[in-house]
Amino acid sequence: MAEEAFETVVATHHAEIHRYLVRVTRRPGDADDLSQETFIRAFRAHASLTPGSNVRAWLFAIATNLCRNYWRSESRRRRAHEAAGETAAHHEEAGGEETMVMEQAGEEIGRIVAALPLRQRLAFTLRKVHELEYESIGRSLDCSPDTARAHVFQALRKIRRGLDAHAAMRTESTR
Amino acid sequence: MTTVSRECREIEPDLIAVATAEAPAAAARRVERHVESCASCRSELARYQTVDGLVTAYRDTRAPEADPTLARAQLESRLADLRSRVMRYGVFDSPLGPIAIGVSEHGVSMVEYVRQAERTGGRLARRTGEEAVEDPRRTEGLYRELADYLDGRRTRLDWPLDLRRTRSDFQRRVLEATAHLPYGAVTSYAGIARQIGAPRATRAVAQALRHNPLPIVVPCHRVIGSRGDLTGYAGTRIGLKRDLLAVEGVHTVAGRGDYHVDRRAVYYKYLDGGEYCLPTCGGILEKPLGEFTVFGSRARAEAVGLQPCSDCRPDLHPLPA
Repeated sequence: MAEEAFETVVATHHAEIHRYLVRVTRRPGDADDLSQETFIRAFRAHASLTPGSNVRAWLFAIATNLCRNYWRSESRRRRAHEAAGETAAHHEEAGGEETMVMEQAGEEIGRIVAALPLRQRLAFTLRKVHELEYESIGRSLDCSPDTARAHVFQALRKIRRGLDAHAAMRTESTR
Repeated sequence: MTTVSRECREIEPDLIAVATAEAPAAAARRVERHVESCASCRSELARYQTVDGLVTAYRDTRAPEADPTLARAQLESRLADLRSRVMRYGVFDSPLGPIAIGVSEHGVSMVEYVRQAERTGGRLARRTGEEAVEDPRRTEGLYRELADYLDGRRTRLDWPLDLRRTRSDFQRRVLEATAHLPYGAVTSYAGIARQIGAPRATRAVAQALRHNPLPIVVPCHRVIGSRGDLTGYAGTRIGLKRDLLAVEGVHTVAGRGDYHVDRRAVYYKYLDGGEYCLPTCGGILEKPLGEFTVFGSRARAEAVGLQPCSDCRPDLHPLPA
């Protein structure tokens, strides 16, 4: 019975958790591993989950926790920076005059987000991409909802500054 | 942002909140009042509203190479493997002390007398080589049946058994033969050895039952020594064996550090016979216990379809209760 219920959990949430992990790690291979690990852990703990709990928020908490462990490794952090660099280079090549502004801005935000400190990046992605409540984000990050909110706002300030700088650079280069 | 007043600095978080549609009503009113008179914050607000729109665009772009198909397939296969190894267990207080009951996807895979200090899964998991997950809800129904059984309100535990933890084919045959011993019936290790076609393997049978992964359900307590002594149970907890037999109506007498079934106080059935006899019938008491299955009461013998022996007529001359 618990097994059947878990089937549904996987079917409902796996794709979204995977997307989240791809965004925050920027390495699809690692996201594959982490998403598997998230659900393996969830499977083990599923029985002890209080009935009526928010399964989605619980899965995000597990995934977030795994991300934090993942990022504690210095070499991974370095690889991620390289990955961010690669994507940036790739996008500069692909970026032509025709590219839509929104799309380009979206990509630019992706680069800025990748360079954010981990907790800001996680909080921002949980809130702005996956629209979790600050309560849940706080639980995922072991902080208060207010602190979670502060992380998100700090991320927004940096995105705003980053976009301003990007716009300024583009204006100069087109001159 | 050249001349940022204290008020502007203080209102900035609310301003971001308003721009990203997260502000409570009071904060929204504060910001509204402030930007009416502050052009710089008005443009800040507009800028953050733009950022919010772009963040939405970012959210809607596909994450890079976010194809979860492969990860999902790998996950499913890992889960399938995990499921086949996982044992969900609960520990319950029984009249015989704490008992752990574990189930796998194949059936009941563990029944174990546990000590109070060992009530957590780590040790159980290490011992069984399985993934032990504490899940009392999953095993609670089984425990209720077991409790009824230990109370004498139930005489069968028709549970699907997972015997994958058996150590050998021989042990499996021993456990299966033991599982078929009816309620209230007792046989000897030699009797089981005969039944599985290995009449000289009495000691090996005893060894196999010593490592019974499913005590009570596979009723090794119904298997005793050839002289009627209970011999051993759950390490040194011979009292449990006595109690389990008593529940089934087989009474034992205390002896030197052990208990034994009083051979004069039970009914006898030859291993492949269809009748039950008094102990006085045809020199039964001179024969080894290994040739018989014995019953504590006529009711238990008749419950498995046995007829009273037409020579000794246990139905007319029952043993004193």
